[in-house]
Amino acid sequence: METSYLKRPIPLRMIVLLGLAIHGPLLAMQLPISTSYDANFHIFFASHYAQHWFNPWNVKWFAGFSQTTYPPLVHQWIAVFSHLIGLNMAFMLVQLIAVLLMPIGVYRFSRLWVDERASSYAALFSVFVGAVAFLVYSAGQLPTTLSFPIYLLALPYFYDWSRSADFGSLIKGVFLILAAGSVHHVTLIFGAVPFALPVLWLAWMDRKRDSSGLAVLSRAAIFAILAAIGVGIVLMPYWISIIQHPIEQIPIPHASRSNLLMNILYLTNYFLMPYGALLLAFPFVVWIGATNRRLWPLLFGFWVTFILALGGTTPLPKLVFGRAFEILTFERFTLWASFMSLPIVGLIAERLLDRYRVKAAVGLALGAVLTLCMPMAWLSLSPFKANSDLNVDAVIGFLNRDGHDQYRYLTLGFGNSLPRISTYSIANSVDGEYNSARLLPEFTHYGTAQLTSAKYFGTQGMESLRAMLAHANHYGLKFIFIHDPYYEPLVAFAGWRHIETYDQGEITVWSKDDTPPARPIPSDAIPTAMEGLMWGTLPIGSSILAILLLLFIPDHRITRPTEEAVLYPVPVDERELVRETR
Amino acid sequence: MKRLLAIGIFIITVVLVGISWFTSGGLARQRMYSAQTPEEAVRLMVSQVQAHNWDAAYSRLANRGEVDKAAFVRDLAGSNGSLLTYANLESFDVWGLHQTNQDAIFRAKLHYSTAVGPLETFRDLKVEHDGNTWKVFWPTTRLPKLAPQVIPVNYLRWDVINRGAQDDWGVQNVDNPQVRIISMNALQRPDSVVLVGEIVNEDTIPAYVNVSATLLGPDGNEVAQEGSFDKISHTLLPKQVSPYRIDFPGMRMDKIKSVRMDAKAMLIAASADPVIEVGQQHIETDALNKKVLRGQLVNQSGQIVNIPHVIASYYDGNGKVIWVSDGYVDQELLPQIPVSFGLDVPDDVAKNVQNYHVVVNYYENNNS
Repeated sequence: METSYLKRPIPLRMIVLLGLAIHGPLLAMQLPISTSYDANFHIFFASHYAQHWFNPWNVKWFAGFSQTTYPPLVHQWIAVFSHLIGLNMAFMLVQLIAVLLMPIGVYRFSRLWVDERASSYAALFSVFVGAVAFLVYSAGQLPTTLSFPIYLLALPYFYDWSRSADFGSLIKGVFLILAAGSVHHVTLIFGAVPFALPVLWLAWMDRKRDSSGLAVLSRAAIFAILAAIGVGIVLMPYWISIIQHPIEQIPIPHASRSNLLMNILYLTNYFLMPYGALLLAFPFVVWIGATNRRLWPLLFGFWVTFILALGGTTPLPKLVFGRAFEILTFERFTLWASFMSLPIVGLIAERLLDRYRVKAAVGLALGAVLTLCMPMAWLSLSPFKANSDLNVDAVIGFLNRDGHDQYRYLTLGFGNSLPRISTYSIANSVDGEYNSARLLPEFTHYGTAQLTSAKYFGTQGMESLRAMLAHANHYGLKFIFIHDPYYEPLVAFAGWRHIETYDQGEITVWSKDDTPPARPIPSDAIPTAMEGLMWGTLPIGSSILAILLLLFIPDHRITRPTEEAVLYPVPVDERELVRETR
Repeated sequence: MKRLLAIGIFIITVVLVGISWFTSGGLARQRMYSAQTPEEAVRLMVSQVQAHNWDAAYSRLANRGEVDKAAFVRDLAGSNGSLLTYANLESFDVWGLHQTNQDAIFRAKLHYSTAVGPLETFRDLKVEHDGNTWKVFWPTTRLPKLAPQVIPVNYLRWDVINRGAQDDWGVQNVDNPQVRIISMNALQRPDSVVLVGEIVNEDTIPAYVNVSATLLGPDGNEVAQEGSFDKISHTLLPKQVSPYRIDFPGMRMDKIKSVRMDAKAMLIAASADPVIEVGQQHIETDALNKKVLRGQLVNQSGQIVNIPHVIASYYDGNGKVIWVSDGYVDQELLPQIPVSFGLDVPDDVAKNVQNYHVVVNYYENNNS
């Protein structure tokens, strides 16, 4: 028996505890709320479910929009926990669960490809992956970071079912896919192919000697069909809304779609920071992946996700996704590429530790810590600021008093603090942060995102803002809160008058006298009561069922091909020197 | 085979990155940096301006000895809270007007995104051959310096004292000023219906006005509603007249039976200062063969006007308002220093114009 810690697998529970030790305090400090782009957005969505579980029509943004345009599961779980610990801590709790699921998902995924020890190293490195830190603390993409590990947990079941026709694996795998899809549709739609295809390829290669390749493919097809039907039913209101109102708005520019080589800041933000020291390992990942036939599917998946993560730096993403290229953001592919490489990185670590021992351990530890620390440091060094930690109490107070909620409002220069205002005020805004839900022509005819950040979208942004201000009376848009003096000339020339100032001039309030009170804006996007009922039951029901299945149906010990997994050193027949004492 | 796979992956990756680098203009950018042609020199200088890389842009000038760097930056990025200080150079076009082996003249069309909407300006730039590269000759602009002086401020000012801190703005429990729409003319333009006219403050107190219009169809139902937005001077002193224009994009006159106008006014505190004089007004044809109303603004007060906004109404021989156009001036108005302005006039309107009236609206960034 190997006694050196450097030659034994690291227990998974220790890795999870390490994840808890690293991310627990950061999340307890509620870091994503002040540093990330999307945390407030997800909390806003959750706050709606906390108050209106079965009514996905939310009137607080865009003069009314349907939350069926975004899978609800993560928001619903936050809403459930919020009744116990409040919205912010509920968000942090769900985010922590997501972060802790990652090493488990990576371990199980890696075990398909490499031995237990390399898999444990892969799981360990997943705690330090820069893309995770980037997505959690900078992007605030909770659904991506929760959906992905659930999807990783489902993949081994997909493999087991396809290879060995284990019915329990089929059931658990499909329900995990439903849960993953209920958390984040984009991960499921665009992550399915680069992850599932390599696993299917592997199942085909590993199939039992008496099993035909066709049987493997047939079982995979059954899995895919059941998952597709399940997702179709569970997210039915989403599909209805997307069919009724396909995303046809003018594309909104996003830096992750640009050619990263043309802008050093974008290159740093979307390439250097998320990958960190992993970049040093990539040449070896390709080399080792290429030199072992069993790792070819994984190498293929890694390369595809790596190229897709480069956004507009190569023509491939545009060719692959077509029109969807202009809707997607590509930072999530960086996470996928990182995780796809981890099994081979685990293998590399195994070889390094065997060869260089403590020196390798120190080097790997430094690399891992550096990879985690770089994006954390970038949070303060980056010129891209989410502006999500503004003190908006005065704005909320203004909107919640003296009947000001009879009118709609607009914020300018508030960045990602807008959802916080929306969460805690009773008034409604014409603006909002979720681009895919926008139906007002003042948004969809222009290539711009939120009006509150209009200036960053140049002429398109300012023209969209002008269009909205020009129709102020139609929408009952009376109050404008300005945090960036850049917007003051337009607002002044358009007929608003400065009426109040907060925070030593940081925030000014402007009002337009002749604006009539807001009235409901008719929309054909309002979900029916049945859709609301489905939305409030099926996604969360599928997740509860998935948890119960995992807890109460034990995994059959499928003859995982440990003899087939890539091992290092290559096993040789050796006579036992000392027999185990029983 | 195994090595070939790794090498193949590497080569395909490099090729894909190379293709995008080429199609994204990487090669053109590299060539531009060499400034081997006059066009590349102008493009390089303007692209450095676009990136706010002022040192690099300034280093591309042929006449650095004559041009102060601060003045160069002020020329392109504005100063004193002018519109250019609220602007980003979004894109530009460059084309040649004249070229020899030693010098050339190129025209740069600069597309700014500003706080009040898009802005386009033209710069004719002389380019000189300097060794292996070309450099831009930047025209020197020297701001006239006024002698120190005292300007007495004796213009009228109206304060409102009955507004409590807890009151909402506009709730003052006093009668609203009397304003009246004195003219309205509905016009069919190629892609819209446009209402133009004038509004007057008939009261003895200042008014803050907004004009809106509702188009009614043949069945009496509302077809569309729009407001004057920024095509009006919202603050009207007693007896002051402002043009207004309301656009209805995509509408046609034959679908409209009548128009319902609505002018809302409320009392505000206001001052007649600063007074801005409009002079040397005339309609001319510009270099692009378009009709333009040109003139000069002179700020007669002692304070800086950050963003002037010029609105002009055009009359036919019967004194009827036949068009209203407006434009923002990208320079600030310093005391006593004339600044030119130009407003586009559609060709079909220009031939019927007999007279025009210009008012100047403004934004001062110390208001807030």
